[in-house]
Parts: sequence; structure tokens; C-alpha cells
Amino acid sequence: MLVTWKYRPRNTFIQRLDPRTRLIFMFSIILALTVPEIWDFRIILPLFFLSLTLYLMARIEWKDVRRVWIFIFILVIFIVGLNGLLSGRGGPSSVTNLPSPVLFNVPIKIPFTDIGWDVPITVSKTWFALTQITRMFTMTLLAIPIPYTIDPNIYGTAFRRMGASDKVSFTMDLAFRFLPTFARDFIITMDAQRARGYEIEKLNGGIPERLRKLAPFIIPVVMQSTVTGEEVIDAMDLRAFGTAPRTWLKQLTYALRDYFILGLGFAIFVACCVLKWGFGFGGYFVPEFFSNWILGL
Amino acid sequence: MNDKSTWEFGTRQVVYGAIGAALYGVLSWASNFVPLPAAGNVTFRPAVAVLIFFGVAYGPWVGFLAGVIGNTLGDALSGWGFYWNWSLGNGLMGLVAGLAMAAISDFRAQKDIIKAVGWGIAGVAVGMLFASLTEMFVGGIDINTALVGYFTPAFIGNTVVTAILVPILMIAFAAVASRRGR
Repeated sequence: MLVTWKYRPRNTFIQRLDPRTRLIFMFSIILALTVPEIWDFRIILPLFFLSLTLYLMARIEWKDVRRVWIFIFILVIFIVGLNGLLSGRGGPSSVTNLPSPVLFNVPIKIPFTDIGWDVPITVSKTWFALTQITRMFTMTLLAIPIPYTIDPNIYGTAFRRMGASDKVSFTMDLAFRFLPTFARDFIITMDAQRARGYEIEKLNGGIPERLRKLAPFIIPVVMQSTVTGEEVIDAMDLRAFGTAPRTWLKQLTYALRDYFILGLGFAIFVACCVLKWGFGFGGYFVPEFFSNWILGL
Repeated sequence: MNDKSTWEFGTRQVVYGAIGAALYGVLSWASNFVPLPAAGNVTFRPAVAVLIFFGVAYGPWVGFLAGVIGNTLGDALSGWGFYWNWSLGNGLMGLVAGLAMAAISDFRAQKDIIKAVGWGIAGVAVGMLFASLTEMFVGGIDINTALVGYFTPAFIGNTVVTAILVPILMIAFAAVASRRGR
């Protein structure tokens, strides 16, 4: 097998959960934070620790996820966090609208001109950047384990049992089956082109030229796949595909633990909506302990 | 454009949706190992040309499924996780490109290639705009970051790939289709 899934069976609580439970729970947390626009650290922090606990319970080895985490850290801390710190935008208007003590100014100057201005870094913007980073990590911690912990063979069944049509679910199932074959075809094509003197590692020229030079690598596999497709269509039509509802080999059933996690996800979503819309709790504010601490530095 | 064959969803769409998704997923994964050109924070993903081509050749449903499932597969294979808004954005990219199908009769004709590339670029704009703007709600970023940090690099990179590789795929496909006779 030339392409391997990141999935590996582990005897963990997370992997014993039904895949539908995992997906529905992740969406519940994303919706709980985004629909009622929760920016209060007293809600975000417990949810962050809940996500972190579930992530650690998945027992994914660090060497498997190291590259992913480096990318996520760069994205969340340097792009999102730094942007929040400088601009204070991307959240509620109270971050920049309410008066807040200035910690220091960052001079920004347009290169080769005298045009420039000072960007004030306030206590409010600093707390907002920290809140936003935590909020994003809360959601990311639930998304990252999915490919490592859900068996690729049950995605089709999971989506069918979540309400997708037979055809859509079968498309997904078929895609998973085709994937190793096409990965093998790509590698064989690359080797065959190398034998003819095509050096994929040494593409030179301008960007259009370098993209054009990728064609000998892409075209043979794509064209062969269109021919394969016709054969598969004939085989499926001969078996009367799509004329009646189909049955699925793999069956999924909810266990008690699934109902518990689903109930927890639903309760978190409802609680966030009720707290925000019913009691006005969950909006953005800078806690006093943070203001005192950072101004005392 | 909205005739039955454009929006038909039968065995052909199921199979080519799956093939498009698998190719898109594999090529996205292979991008990790093939040195690709980049300029600034713009990266060029040749997989996008395959997605646009499948939309143009087999219609909007194939484009949509190939985008949604292919992006999910590519992310899963690379271990990135599951980001529904980017998968849906990729699906929209294929769906809009697929609207060109009814307007294309000859994959070798210059005017049909221009139509395909035009619809492909429109698909890139719609799909990447959707993904970037939904990131405001999912990730809590502001509109400037969404448009400048996410949308612009994705749009430029995918447009260049579409304009260069989709015509090559269409000409190659015309030869294969004429040999196959359907």
C-alpha cells in the first residue's frame, strides 16, 4: 500500500464512540461558541479543557501530529493572535470601542515613504487575542483527532446514517476505495516519467512554466481514471445501482456512552444559547485580575 | 444551462464524483512531496485544476461532490483534521465550474476552453470567498484577515492553476473521449 491513512486502531474510549457521535459533538461545540457569539473566558476555558481532555484521551502519538501542530500554532498564534493584538478586530465591537489603558504603541510605516502611524496595544486587545487563540484551539482540538481515530471504511456508513442519501454516501465510500489505487498510479507515473528523464524535483522557469511542466505527471493518471470510470459505471448499471434503496454492510449502533456524549454536546449548545440570549452572560469583557496583572508589570 | 442532464444525479455522477474526489484528495496529499512553485504567501495547488476539470466535464454535482469529499480526504490523508467550511468551499468551487458543462460541446475548441476557464475562475472566487468569509464565524477573524490573509492568496493561486492546467486537461480529455466514443 503506497498511501496510508493516518488512522490506527487504538483501544480508547474515543475510538469506541460511534463516528456520528464524534462529528455531531464537534459541530455542537463549534455552534455553541459561534451562534450565540461566546467571548467570555469563564465559558471558553472549561470548553477548552473539555476539548483538551478528549484530545488526550484519543492517545495520538506526538510524532504523528507534530507537523500539523506546528502549522496550527503558526496560523493561530502568528496570524490570528497577532492580528487580534494589533487590530482588535474579528470579535465583538466592545474590544476596540470601550476605553482601555494603552500598554505600548507599535510604530507602523509604509516602506519607502514617510507615511506611518502608531498602533496602540491596549489591555482589551491583549485579552482579546488570548481569548481568540483559546477559542480557536478549543475547536481545533476536536477537529485534529478525526482522521487519526475514525476508520476510513465507516465514513460512508456514518454519513448515510446521519441522513445523507444512498448515492452521496456511496460516492464517499467509493472515493475511499479508489484512493489507494490512484495514489499508486501517481507514483508509478512519476517513476515512469523519471525513467524518461523528467525530473520533478528540478522544475525550473517561471510559475506558469513550472505549473505546465507538472502536466506529464497529472494528465496520464486523470485520463486513465476517466476510462476506469466508464468500466465501473457499466458494472454498477448491470447490477441495477440506484433503482432501489440499498443496504449497508457495516452497521452502526449508538451505545450508552454515545448518548452521554451527544447529550453533553446538546446541553453545552443549549446552555450557551440560554446564558447569552436569556441572561446576557457570555459576552466579551476584560477581567479585573488580568488588567491589574498586566498594568502592574 | 439548467436542463435535466446538467443537474442529473445518477450512476455516472456517483462514480465520477468519487473518482474526482479520490484524485483531488491524492493530488492534495502528493503536493506535500512534490516541490511546487510559490510566491509570497500564495501557494499553487495543481489539484484544483483536476476539480475544475471534473466539474466542467461531468457537471455541477460531480464538481460539488469531488470538492467536498476530495478536500475532506486530502485533509484526512495529510492529518490536518476536518474543516467543514473549507470542504464546502471546495465543493462550491466544483459546482460553479460544473455549470459550464451544458455550454461546452467541443473540449478542443478555443471558445469552449475559454468558457470552461471562465466558469472555473468564477467557481474559485465563489468557493474561496465562502470558505474565507465563514472563517469569520468559525475562527472569529475579521473581514480584513478573511479577505487579505485567506481569500486573496487562495484566489490568485487557484486562478493561475486553473488558467494553465484546465486547458491542457481538456485537450487531453478530447483525445481520450474521441477514442472511447462516448
